[in-house]
Amino acid sequence: MGCSVPANYPNYEAAMMKVAEELGMDLNYMEGVACCGSPNLRAIDYFGWLVVNARTLAIGEKNGYDIVSPCNGCFASLKDALHHLKHDKKDMVKVNAELKKQGLELKGTIKVRHIIEAMYTDVGPKEIRKKVTKPLDGVGIAIHYGCHLLRPADVTEFRPEILEEMVRVTGATVVEYPLWKQCCGATVLPVNEDLAIRLARDKLKSMKEAGAVFVTVVCPACGNQLDLQQIGLKDSYGEVYDLPVLLYPQILGLAMGMDEEAVGLEMNRVSADPILEHLTD
Amino acid sequence: MTEMEEKVGPPDTLVDPIDMSKLDSGFRTEVLSMPNGDELSACFACSTCTAACPIANQWDYKPHQLIRMILLGMREEVLSSKEIWECLTCFQCQERCPQKVRVTDIIFDLKNLAAEEGKVPANVLALGKSLIAKGQLYEVLNDWEREDLDLEPEVPGLETDPIKEILKGTRTGRLAGGDE
Repeated sequence: MGCSVPANYPNYEAAMMKVAEELGMDLNYMEGVACCGSPNLRAIDYFGWLVVNARTLAIGEKNGYDIVSPCNGCFASLKDALHHLKHDKKDMVKVNAELKKQGLELKGTIKVRHIIEAMYTDVGPKEIRKKVTKPLDGVGIAIHYGCHLLRPADVTEFRPEILEEMVRVTGATVVEYPLWKQCCGATVLPVNEDLAIRLARDKLKSMKEAGAVFVTVVCPACGNQLDLQQIGLKDSYGEVYDLPVLLYPQILGLAMGMDEEAVGLEMNRVSADPILEHLTD
Repeated sequence: MTEMEEKVGPPDTLVDPIDMSKLDSGFRTEVLSMPNGDELSACFACSTCTAACPIANQWDYKPHQLIRMILLGMREEVLSSKEIWECLTCFQCQERCPQKVRVTDIIFDLKNLAAEEGKVPANVLALGKSLIAKGQLYEVLNDWEREDLDLEPEVPGLETDPIKEILKGTRTGRLAGGDE
């Protein structure tokens, strides 16, 4: 679960847990999980970042469950640390020497996935479609994947088509837009806020101009950039986008018949209520 | 026709020659030995990485130049640059490199080398300190929001002490130690 989703986006957490239960997934909170440290920790302390994430991976191996995460940051940290340690025997030995102090050992057998990928592979679009009782009316949704879900592809092993298909399953149309691969700017916030805001703005502009009515994200940091920054753009750029940003499980949950309170729709900064008008019976 | 102004000195499109005496020939080996340096010397300066970078147009040192600067040994310039910290870590450069240079990963390595010398932007250092103090980056402040959504007020399973302990013994601890 990490730290950002529970603290900043409990609506994401609630929607995900409810959807997963409805889909019959065996999704449990991971005992002993720690904050991944984010790319900022990787930047200043590579070894510390490796040990922190190796610890979470080792606990997962011990528990015998796969790890799934709703956050691109945790997902990428865990995948990247695992990828590195599987390819660097020396670091694996060094890291395991540290883990031994906590009675843990990483073998490298654990599987890490994003929750969306787990829904796609373990349940599948066919089964999910059967649960969709209030499909969307074909309204256009732009997908912001988030950099760390897609790249580096040899590490993340995630195909963009997965999320596209998951959006279509809800009855919505996927809107293609020129800047689909571009960063939301979240990572640069601590060192250059103006630049971060500009990146979020370019992204929103590109989506809006391509005809998107809604945006979907699968990462709390990206969600924060695209949703919250819209409020400030009114002053800084004099631009109003009015583009509701929904965490993907919110959309799926609504299409599966859950009500707006269940998926925490009122917590979305740019009012996401208009999506209710696009649900059909 | 407007009168041409007499200009003194070289055209400003030219850059000053590199001062060879300031180069550090060991820098290349240093970066090569880092976790992601393997393909570094395969760079043939095609600047595909720079073309892929969404923010290179506002950088003094473009991504392909940073790689070239490593190979030349411009250690001081690279490790003191604002560019390495402004990298979005979006991996677009790395994804497109025809020579499989792990550009973004190398920039992570550069930040680690800079951090080893204590060169860390204040706000990034603050995040490191907060990891040591709290064991997480974001704390639940409004637990009523969670309860409204039928979630446990405290995050189930989350542990914060182990990460504090781990990071106290690594570079984060040394960086944070200064004024605690």
